[in-house]
Amino acid sequence: MSIQPITFETTVNGETVEVTVPPRLLLVDLLRDRLGLTGTHVGCTFEAVCGACTVHLDGVAVKSCSVLAAQAAGRQVVSIEGLASKENPHPLQSAFQQTHALQCGYCTPGIIMSMAEFLRENPDPNEEEIRFALAGNICRCTGYSHIVEAVQIAARELRGKTQEKRA
Amino acid sequence: MSHGDDDHGTGNFSLVGKRVPRKEDIRLTQGRGQYFADLKMPDALHIVFVRSSRAHAEIVSIDTEAAKAAPGVVAVFTGDDIKDRITPLPHPIVVPNLPGKFPKHWPLAVGRVKFNGEPVAVVLATDRYLAEDAAELVEVEYSDLPYVGSPEAAMAPGAPVIHQDLDNNEIFSMSFTGGGTAEGAAANEAEISAILEGAPVIVDEKFQVHRTGITPLETRGAAAWWNEDDGLTCWITTQRPHIDRLALAEVLGLSTSMVRVMAPRDQGGGFGNKAPFYRESILIPWLAMTLKRPVRWLESREESLMVIGQERDQRIHITMGTTEEGRILGMRVRIVADNGDGCQGVYWGFVMPVLGAATFCSGYDIAKADIRLACYVTNKPSLAPSRSFGSYSPRFAMERMMDLVAARVGRSPLDIRRLNLVKSFPYTTATGSYLDSGDYVKCFNTLVDTMDPKAFRERQAELRKQGRFIGLGFSTGTEISGIASKVFVQLENQPGYGSATVRIDARGRVQVLEGDAPQGTSHETTFSQVAAEVLGIQFDDVVVQTGDTQNTPFASGSLGARGGSYTVSAVYNACRSLRFKMARIFIHDRRINARPEDIEFEGGFVFPSLDRENKMGFAELADRIIMKPIDLPEGEQAGLEATDYFEAPTSMFYFGAHSCIVEVFPKTGQFKIQRYVTCEDAGTVINPLIVEGQVQGGVIQGLSNAMFEQYLYDDQGQQMTTTLEGYRMAQAPDMPHVEVTHSYTPCPGTPLGSRGLGEGVPGPVPGALVNAVCDALSPFGIKINDLPLRPDRIWHMLGGPDGIREPEGRGMAGG
Repeated sequence: MSIQPITFETTVNGETVEVTVPPRLLLVDLLRDRLGLTGTHVGCTFEAVCGACTVHLDGVAVKSCSVLAAQAAGRQVVSIEGLASKENPHPLQSAFQQTHALQCGYCTPGIIMSMAEFLRENPDPNEEEIRFALAGNICRCTGYSHIVEAVQIAARELRGKTQEKRA
Repeated sequence: MSHGDDDHGTGNFSLVGKRVPRKEDIRLTQGRGQYFADLKMPDALHIVFVRSSRAHAEIVSIDTEAAKAAPGVVAVFTGDDIKDRITPLPHPIVVPNLPGKFPKHWPLAVGRVKFNGEPVAVVLATDRYLAEDAAELVEVEYSDLPYVGSPEAAMAPGAPVIHQDLDNNEIFSMSFTGGGTAEGAAANEAEISAILEGAPVIVDEKFQVHRTGITPLETRGAAAWWNEDDGLTCWITTQRPHIDRLALAEVLGLSTSMVRVMAPRDQGGGFGNKAPFYRESILIPWLAMTLKRPVRWLESREESLMVIGQERDQRIHITMGTTEEGRILGMRVRIVADNGDGCQGVYWGFVMPVLGAATFCSGYDIAKADIRLACYVTNKPSLAPSRSFGSYSPRFAMERMMDLVAARVGRSPLDIRRLNLVKSFPYTTATGSYLDSGDYVKCFNTLVDTMDPKAFRERQAELRKQGRFIGLGFSTGTEISGIASKVFVQLENQPGYGSATVRIDARGRVQVLEGDAPQGTSHETTFSQVAAEVLGIQFDDVVVQTGDTQNTPFASGSLGARGGSYTVSAVYNACRSLRFKMARIFIHDRRINARPEDIEFEGGFVFPSLDRENKMGFAELADRIIMKPIDLPEGEQAGLEATDYFEAPTSMFYFGAHSCIVEVFPKTGQFKIQRYVTCEDAGTVINPLIVEGQVQGGVIQGLSNAMFEQYLYDDQGQQMTTTLEGYRMAQAPDMPHVEVTHSYTPCPGTPLGSRGLGEGVPGPVPGALVNAVCDALSPFGIKINDLPLRPDRIWHMLGGPDGIREPEGRGMAGG
């Protein structure tokens, strides 16, 4: 009955690794259990509702509990650990602290990954657009108000950076 | 010091009262949190439970042979395997001081299963995927018993008795009025009946709140390892590691010196769910002891939704007698709770409704009441604590009553609340709750002013002409701000004090040790603010460590809004005592004539207030006391470490008022919350940013419970809401922005004047929401006394498939 493990290369947070895993292994388990990247969390039984496991796969926010590790073969994965650095945090990370947009913090990495993609697509969103973009992530603690505020602040800062680059 | 509303009593402070960003957030926003699932345990066996597929059945047989032979499997245990090796609950450490019944149970079902999801067997394997495969191979044969799915079914004559060691299904029954004796309760009942008979106005209403709760995003987990010399070491997702340690030692027959419990530094929300002493928390350490191997269990979301986090679930009948003006003369309350199986250490299902009944009157002045509660065992998981602990349903009922009384006597709901709110403090309620201080009417009026009801009524009338229906609703609630030992010992056999150890090291850095275990509740930041404030040092020079029973002072747990009232006061007092010691030694060394109170601690320096230049570095003074303990003042010892056990002289209550504006669309029954505002009196606010977050989160949880979340069972007791698709929690687009305003009165019972806040925030929410919806629909004469509040129900009440009724020309007079 035993199914043969498969071996492939994938690039995680900029580093290409070769892994040998069972075909049924989920991407979230590859990241957490095999690569030690525990910033990506699991809040549901893989029904892909809570969004705590959101990572970027070739730049697109995906729920890593609903992707097989093997589907990341030859592709770029970015998790919360690879979004920015401790010294130069992403504007979303700073804004979340500034506005108290997290309490227990369990949902936070997933929300930041989801919003990082959203702000690339929509750099100047209004409150309603932010709230709809957050529909794939559940936050149980904050009541969302401070998260909306954080995303607005980060959006402003990111727009400023874009203008600097152009200038 | 004057206490103006602007500075919330913190005008003289540099850190307390400021919107200080949290120190927790740097690691948590960057993916470096250390939650249970992130903790590394090399070579740990992974545990998967086999859970009952039936709600009520005899276990005929369990075949574990195939599972035991499966790849990676190390062991499989069933109830029969453990029942002679683990002593069953109840054990005294997890039994409250209440006249309830405590059904005997083991961590795995023995003989019978009593709800869908009860643990039946446990599989241990080298890999989680393999453990899950093997769990599927365990064959359980059941012989079904009749399903008892409601209190009504449980109390019916001839109902099957669920627990064979109990006489019947009534697990708890008590009168909360009348002085605690049967004669007193009977006399009180007769007195209330007479008051009601003589009352000019009687309002008699029944309410029901469904089974729901505040499940956190992080599920539970437990891990343990055994060492012959040191005994058991356990990681448990828990709000109360010290209680877990005592309980584990007692149940497993170990010396407490052989048990260490650690709550992970980061926990993904608790809200009460992580406060009980659960069966899994017994079994996992026992497996580590027995197999002499590290073991680890991480609960799945499906398991979590099947077995924990289910609260509320009360039916409430209120008969209220009032004057013609709506002043309450007396009240009879009968509460019935669907207890579930009740097999849960510390709470047993009924402790939550008990507290709800004990604080039923909330902030209202009701001189005479007759309040009784009865709880019935059913084939569902035990009620488990959730934020607003037992009070969500009572608050809903009382706040609906206020509006219903208003409608009955033809006055505004605002006037009825102002008329009946407690006005002079301290005040003892009919159930004996001691309301220490505050100004409830001021807080309520502040909120009313914000909402501008006059302008609202004009807009409402205007919109009604256009066939649009908006409504304004209000509610209020009190919340226990920490629980005094006097109450807590009686309730749960546990102390209520807040405790903290503060250590200053020779480099002037400060360590605060707390025995409770925060779960997103910002203790690292608030306690650092207070310690840095008292010692005059940098916020970043304070480290707060929590939840490890090996090095923290005993504490009953992170619950009941204790952090901002009790524990923070212990931190404050311990820092004050160290500050005085440092001041005494400074005075001695400098040979100055001053009292310790005359020495200032500010900006990292210590100096006499009248001679600021005669200063010494805080770190230098710490080094002198710890590393150079010579020529100390007479009677003074070296070292800088203090532990404080803070106990308030009386119990303390926090008060909040909520208001909500909705628009209802009669054609579909859908409604939209246009505005939600609260007004809080939390005393001295240590960090307004955090208080705002606590209130906003609590309100959205309250709305989510009222509008979306519901644990559903089919007619055989199968739980139908075991994923987050079926058990729907509020998402951002569903929810309004919550505006938080303040009305400040100092709390006399704590050194900083702070009250704890947060735990009870969801309580007033359904009252404000439903009152607003009923106000919007007053031209249709709609009365909603049951939750959840769903568009389809509103649509049916408005006429539904028979066509929406025409609204009356004018609605009831609003506030």
